[in-house]
Amino acid sequence: MTPDAGGEGDPEQRVRIRPYLRAPVAGAAASAPDPGPEGPRPFVLTAGRVASADPAIGLETQVTAEPGASDDEVALLPPELQAIIALCAEPISVAEISARTRLHFGVTRVLVGDLRAAGHLEVHLGPGDGASDPELILRVIDGLRAIS
Amino acid sequence: MDSVRSPDWPAAPLGGLAANSAAARYGTPSGPAPAVGRAQPPHPAEPAYPPAHPPAPPAPVAGPRPEAHPGRRAAPPVPVKILIAGGFGVGKTTTVGAISEIAPLTTEAEMTSAGIGIDDPGARSAKTTTTVAMDFGCVTIDRSLKLYLFGTPGQARFGFMWDDLARGALGALVVVDSSRLDDCYPVVDYFEQAGLPFVVGVNAFDGRLALDLDAIRWALAIGEHVPLVRFDARDRLSVRDTLLVVLDRALQRATRDRGA
Repeated sequence: MTPDAGGEGDPEQRVRIRPYLRAPVAGAAASAPDPGPEGPRPFVLTAGRVASADPAIGLETQVTAEPGASDDEVALLPPELQAIIALCAEPISVAEISARTRLHFGVTRVLVGDLRAAGHLEVHLGPGDGASDPELILRVIDGLRAIS
Repeated sequence: MDSVRSPDWPAAPLGGLAANSAAARYGTPSGPAPAVGRAQPPHPAEPAYPPAHPPAPPAPVAGPRPEAHPGRRAAPPVPVKILIAGGFGVGKTTTVGAISEIAPLTTEAEMTSAGIGIDDPGARSAKTTTTVAMDFGCVTIDRSLKLYLFGTPGQARFGFMWDDLARGALGALVVVDSSRLDDCYPVVDYFEQAGLPFVVGVNAFDGRLALDLDAIRWALAIGEHVPLVRFDARDRLSVRDTLLVVLDRALQRATRDRGA
């Protein structure tokens, strides 16, 4: 095989690099392949599920660990789930769990729903419509006014 | 005073992660947050997860255990939220950070295929998926009430997350830069259609506005009932007063709904 054997294309447009490699043409260089994500894709942790067990779980929903959960059961869970349960010793929002565990919010929501179904977490879904409660808003107004 | 606390904040810490103070719970962003894959073992000498955990001596410094104080479980606070929306670089995170008692945290939401095709990712972007970072903070109003502030991008391609965010929100503050108004049109449209009370806050960079408020109101085509205020995102009191305007609108709506 001679060095010329690889040049079945138009040789004047492609720079040949010995022995058989060609430098990419200008257009190909612009569309360099995406390096791709680092590590596994986020929803691997949820086995691909994107819909939460409970769609009412929102960013600000408060979560606490279930007091009756046994350590032995928790110890058998994957580390991500253990991290979530450890964070929930005190009331915490789903958004904070997501930020502290560096999991995507959608992933966190599914995992929290799973842990609730398994009895490890208590998810405090309030009456849901605080926005229509004037007394609640007045309390927020008073609390903000106290900031100085 | 650097952090915002209510006067009746419980003083006695419960120890470890359970310490019920904002500083102890959140600390700095680089604090001892349990990173994924390095979960704190629920108890020492735990055999199931050998990586990075040599069997620890059974020291009394056990990890946070919910069972440690079963009788001392306070009900979680009722969360309320206000959205801070706006384009890139208009000062959303600064606004959140000015009033939040914690350094703004970041959570990520993936723009899934549900958003693609509905929302044009933009001519400049060749990406088909993207990750949206949302910054948020909180203000503890009192023991049973906590206000969350969520910063969200205001461009149309992030609309897939607005439904989630707007559900149950008291109201929204749309932050605009007076020299770049275009990023906020979609979110203003959305809030108008969703009936969410909102206020447009013009972030006065360096104390100057490129346009006066009347011109901005005209350009945004917002109704007379929508407050348009000028504020400084770096100033805690300025942000507080702007949020009070949002809450005033929320209160108007709530009392109107209650009366109806």
